[in-house]
Amino acid sequence: MAKVIKKFIEGNDACVDGAIAAGARFYAGYPISPSSEIAEGAAREMPKHGGIYIQMEDELSSMNALLGASLAGKKSFTATSGPGFTLMQENLGLGIMSEIPCVLYVVMRSGPATGAATKPAQADIMQARWGTHGDHNIIALSPSSVQDCYDLSLTAFNLAEKYRTPVLFLSDEVIGHLRETCREREFAPEEIFNRVQPAPGTTQEEFRPYDFSGTMPAPMPAVGDRNLLMRTTGSTHDEKGEFGPGPANINKVTHYLTDKIDKNVDDITIVREYKMEDAEVAIISFGCSARSSMSAVDILREKGVKAGLLQLVTIWPMPEKQIREVLQKVSKVVVAEMNLGQLAKEIRSFNDYGCKVLQANRTDGVLITPQQIIDALEEK
Amino acid sequence: MKTEIILSGVGGQGLVSTGEILGQAASIFEHDLYATMAAAYGSETRGTFTKSDVIISDQPIGCPNIDKANIILCLAQVAYDRYVDTLEDDTVVIYDTDSVVKKEGAKGKHIGYPFRSMAIELGNIQTANSIALGVMIKQCGVLHADTCKQAVAARFAGKDKVIELNDKAIDFGMSLE
Amino acid sequence: MKSYKDYMLFNKLPHTWCAGCGDGIILQSIAAVMAEMEIDKHDIALASGIGCFGRVDDYLDINCMHVTHGRALPAATGIALGNPNLTVLCTMGDGDGATIGGNHLIHAARRNINVTAIIANNYNYGQTGGQYSATTPTHSITSTSPYGHVEHNFDLCKLAEAAGATFVARATTYNPVQMRKLIRQGIENKGFSLIECMAACPTHYGRYNKQGDAAAMLKRYNELTVPVEKAKNMTPEELEGKLVTGVLVNNPRPDYYTMYKKIIDEQSAAYEAAQA
Repeated sequence: MAKVIKKFIEGNDACVDGAIAAGARFYAGYPISPSSEIAEGAAREMPKHGGIYIQMEDELSSMNALLGASLAGKKSFTATSGPGFTLMQENLGLGIMSEIPCVLYVVMRSGPATGAATKPAQADIMQARWGTHGDHNIIALSPSSVQDCYDLSLTAFNLAEKYRTPVLFLSDEVIGHLRETCREREFAPEEIFNRVQPAPGTTQEEFRPYDFSGTMPAPMPAVGDRNLLMRTTGSTHDEKGEFGPGPANINKVTHYLTDKIDKNVDDITIVREYKMEDAEVAIISFGCSARSSMSAVDILREKGVKAGLLQLVTIWPMPEKQIREVLQKVSKVVVAEMNLGQLAKEIRSFNDYGCKVLQANRTDGVLITPQQIIDALEEK
Repeated sequence: MKTEIILSGVGGQGLVSTGEILGQAASIFEHDLYATMAAAYGSETRGTFTKSDVIISDQPIGCPNIDKANIILCLAQVAYDRYVDTLEDDTVVIYDTDSVVKKEGAKGKHIGYPFRSMAIELGNIQTANSIALGVMIKQCGVLHADTCKQAVAARFAGKDKVIELNDKAIDFGMSLE
Repeated sequence: MKSYKDYMLFNKLPHTWCAGCGDGIILQSIAAVMAEMEIDKHDIALASGIGCFGRVDDYLDINCMHVTHGRALPAATGIALGNPNLTVLCTMGDGDGATIGGNHLIHAARRNINVTAIIANNYNYGQTGGQYSATTPTHSITSTSPYGHVEHNFDLCKLAEAAGATFVARATTYNPVQMRKLIRQGIENKGFSLIECMAACPTHYGRYNKQGDAAAMLKRYNELTVPVEKAKNMTPEELEGKLVTGVLVNNPRPDYYTMYKKIIDEQSAAYEAAQA
């Protein structure tokens, strides 16, 4: 039986505990509300576990330091919020192109610009998906509880390592600062995925830091490996990691980077269903809004309405299959989110079934209420 | 079984700490209870209105923000004024008579004590919240004094004198009618 | 006895640089120093960014991380902290190192990260057609200062010194022997080292400013060079427009990792004791 420690802590603190339990040993970041407790927690906890915390001069450098440390073999993470996330976008792209794993905790706040810096929002769904330029794909998870902040940290690092890519952990101010019961379970070694290493005896001649032939990345030795030299680049490259800007190669790399995630969508996507078995109407939501949605379902059920909730834990890639199943099954869906409909637009793009798709949106920096979601559903 | 408690007052009154003790008692020391605390976050500072929403339940908790509270602790007039007109007949209002004047004809079950004066008499003004905690434990029915004391002991590990004082204050609060 | 050739990828030649470019001389100097020091190539990592000199990793047979414009130093910082046993080099031009990444330069110097930064300064953005950078001298003509440059330029060595770099040196491509010596000293300094390598760009800066061909530009470097020992006895007026070469700062102090490792040792021991 694995060791479990019961705590009553903030979501941001659970992120730090989860990252360290998942094996993270390097943090580089720039403090920003409402994510700063993650930086403070990392500064406090990392050295206890032999890890390093460094506060960089900005988010641009934080991202690159993360990638450098990850290339040197350390599982690495950072934390930020809207404006800092925007600054990270350039080098998030570098991580995607270079195929270097890391985890970015993004604690969403009201925006744009400084916005209402301490108030919650969930309006970075599209920044997460398309913030860095060029065709690419991204993995983003969204926690709805402090327990998620701990447990899904392992999922985030595992996906990053498995697919050799940055993974976004899209939290929000509500979950980041919510204090809640959290059972911190020691992760078993077999639950922790570490990046694949080249087969023993692989020679430098045979070794390729990249493999575009399938939908899984090449093995990734650390810089400093005793036998193999490693080469990564943000420029379009061939499988040896050497500059390769020919048309055929550009096309191949673009397709490979998107396929790597699209073709593994079933392995990556996580959804939760709450009282969906006999549901006639449904709420689709994520993050803090999923909490209010859950309460809304309970209230509706008490009133005799057969309501259910589909919670997207994986936001990107969008769990299209599960969303389509719901759209096909129920007559009405409310998409509950703290933005003006970023998720709703995606949901509508799958609606080939004549389902009525309604929205419950909130953008005033106050957590969306169960009543507001119920009102949206009952709208004629 | 779900109890929703609003802890309200002004910044600097230790409301977050009190909420944490409630949450820790439920989460760590009780069996199979869940707790949430949504504390005000932002530019609230010493002297201005602040509150924390604490929910304790034997089921997973949905929305962590409280719509209708079972118990409201008011340690400042500004906090009491904010809630007094939303009270229902069964809402329990626990307030500090040193700093809050009850509104004539207000709904709800009012329980008022001079927590600060009592705390001074008990030996330390900082135990005022623990006296109020004792009153809340008795009213809410889901928590036990023992588990709250365990949470206090964990929080002030190594500071035996502080633990002893707070334990005494919790017992005192529990003993009030 | 190793040769510089052991550290190079000859199959990648001819290189991308223009005839007469100084970057090749710096490339050979870096490879020669690694050979001279007989460093196992698995123990060397190089981070480079964007620009003419950012392409230097294409020709080196060592661990390489090629990043975005200006961000080579933060990447090198990550590598150096991720594996403190490595010799970490960071190659940049004046665009990467002094302009878009200038902020990273002062902070890496201040933190004393154990990285040797080698900046090829050719006074302009050569790769993209000769636009001005933060080191372009006032009044210079570049493709984006066609009427003369109005800004004051950074003295990179003074900037690094003021920021707290523990080793700072300057060399020109006229004197590769000195360049090798200084790069080696930079690598041997456990902390942040900056070697500014003046590298002529006859294609753009030289042409725009009528400095002649590559040979004329090299000769010009020689004429402008003042060894640091000699410079000590010269007035600021006499040094105006001159290139002071040699070791400008050699002031070691414990590097970031050495300082932080003490905290790791203390905190991890205390944590383990508390767990037991």
